[in-house]
Amino acid sequence: MSVIRFEKVTKRYAGPGKPALDQVSIDIDKGEFVYLVGTSGSGKSTALRLVLRELRPTTGRVHVAGKEINRMAGWKVPRLRRQIGTVFQDFRLLPNKTVSENVAFAQQVIGKSQREINKVVPETLELVGLKDKGDRMPDELSGGEQQRVAIARAFVNRPMILIADEPTGNLDPQTSVGIMNLLGDINQTGTTVVMATHDHGIVDQFTKRVIELEHGKVIRDEAAGSYGFQH
Amino acid sequence: MQLRYVFTELRTGLRRNLSMHLAVILTLFVSLSLAGVGILIQREADLANKSLGNELKILVNLCIDDDPSNNPNCAGGEVTAEQQQRIETEVKANDEVASFRFVSKEEGFENAKESGAIPETAYTGPNPVVTVESWPAGYWVTLKNPEQADGIISALEGLDGVSVIKDERAALGQIFGIMKVLKYGSWIGSGFLLLAALLQVTNTIRLAALARRREIGIMRLVGASTLYIAFPFLLEALVTAIVGVGLAAGALAAFQYWGIEKGLAEHVQFLPWVDWGDYGESLYGWFPLGIVFLGPALTLIPTLLLTRKYVKV
Repeated sequence: MSVIRFEKVTKRYAGPGKPALDQVSIDIDKGEFVYLVGTSGSGKSTALRLVLRELRPTTGRVHVAGKEINRMAGWKVPRLRRQIGTVFQDFRLLPNKTVSENVAFAQQVIGKSQREINKVVPETLELVGLKDKGDRMPDELSGGEQQRVAIARAFVNRPMILIADEPTGNLDPQTSVGIMNLLGDINQTGTTVVMATHDHGIVDQFTKRVIELEHGKVIRDEAAGSYGFQH
Repeated sequence: MQLRYVFTELRTGLRRNLSMHLAVILTLFVSLSLAGVGILIQREADLANKSLGNELKILVNLCIDDDPSNNPNCAGGEVTAEQQQRIETEVKANDEVASFRFVSKEEGFENAKESGAIPETAYTGPNPVVTVESWPAGYWVTLKNPEQADGIISALEGLDGVSVIKDERAALGQIFGIMKVLKYGSWIGSGFLLLAALLQVTNTIRLAALARRREIGIMRLVGASTLYIAFPFLLEALVTAIVGVGLAAGALAAFQYWGIEKGLAEHVQFLPWVDWGDYGESLYGWFPLGIVFLGPALTLIPTLLLTRKYVKV
């Protein structure tokens, strides 16, 4: 069963120039781990933003979690996003909140009870290997640890899909391996992981399905691919 | 929605933008006070109008028995039906008159009592000085042009049955003129300040949205609803409005007590003055809109509109 499906999706931004995505069709099944690779401007971020319904396609259809989201009413979008966790290259933690508070924030703002938060947040911190660092402030942590907090925040609501936009972009290779192992563990729980990346080493080391974009078109879709010899 | 989270956010938001919130509160306080004063003046003008007639009118009192005016027109005592008919025909025919209305003894007496034109001691007790019988009937004559009343006055003043023609246009005109200036002055001043308050509210929201952009971004991504994201903003707007309205209500109460009750009402007794009921109307009346509604509307409506723009999912 596909959890993300693009049907001939074209996304054209205002102004002249080629479309960011051009007749893209992709199917991603439940529980898959997919790398989205390609150079800057190839359309990776546009594809991720379409999944989050931050953008709407110019033509074509986007289905997420079984729903066509192009014409989804604005008030239904938050419910869609509760099924998607998002991780960024720059972590985007709240500097004035502790590690626990950062993770709890994702639950508080969707109205989860304090009882549930008290139960789930420590569990999630343990899963990402930060059991003893809940009271630390983000600036007291290393880059890898901060990314773990961001992943905990994205995963705390147990989303169906985890989107990671260059999650290892700011990390050294050794730390990146740790983050990939963590994303792999999350994938093992049944969560579909879609990761946009430039990181050759990671893609070649952790072999998964690779979808390569170039100038807004899918030029490669391999079940167990490498980053690609041409790069 | 967790109350603890909402109040924490509210406290943080108010503290973060303290100077802007204070500016909004002070501007709201002054502008709402002025708006309230405008409403009170409007009501004062209505009261005075009811009691004295407006500046376009003259009052023609008809004779009573032993008319105190000693006017030879009243030599025959109480006005007769024929005399009254004659007077009415004259009023009808005069082209300076826009309209007229007969005021019976009873109506005139009640009006005078209600407006405080005769003191309560004069018409109560076993031997009241003033009674319905001793109160003259009359005509309120509304003029087409307040400057032109000579024709109607000269036509009526020699007629039998006409006791006194009260032409208080000049004196009343001044009072109403001053009230008009004060009323429109306070409304215009209040209008400008309310506009300033509105602009300050929009600036405050813009700054708050900027300061919280990372939090808002995360909230949107994890699926918080627009209302949830906007709620702390709305609450901040409501708190500033409540404080602004509270201060303005206090200032108006002080104005009502020291300015009207202990001031004007004691020195100028021929006019009825606004009371605490009118003060209440300036707070929560519907038309013109009282400050209790005006204040929150001024902060909440722009907040709703702007947060929709800034925190759109």
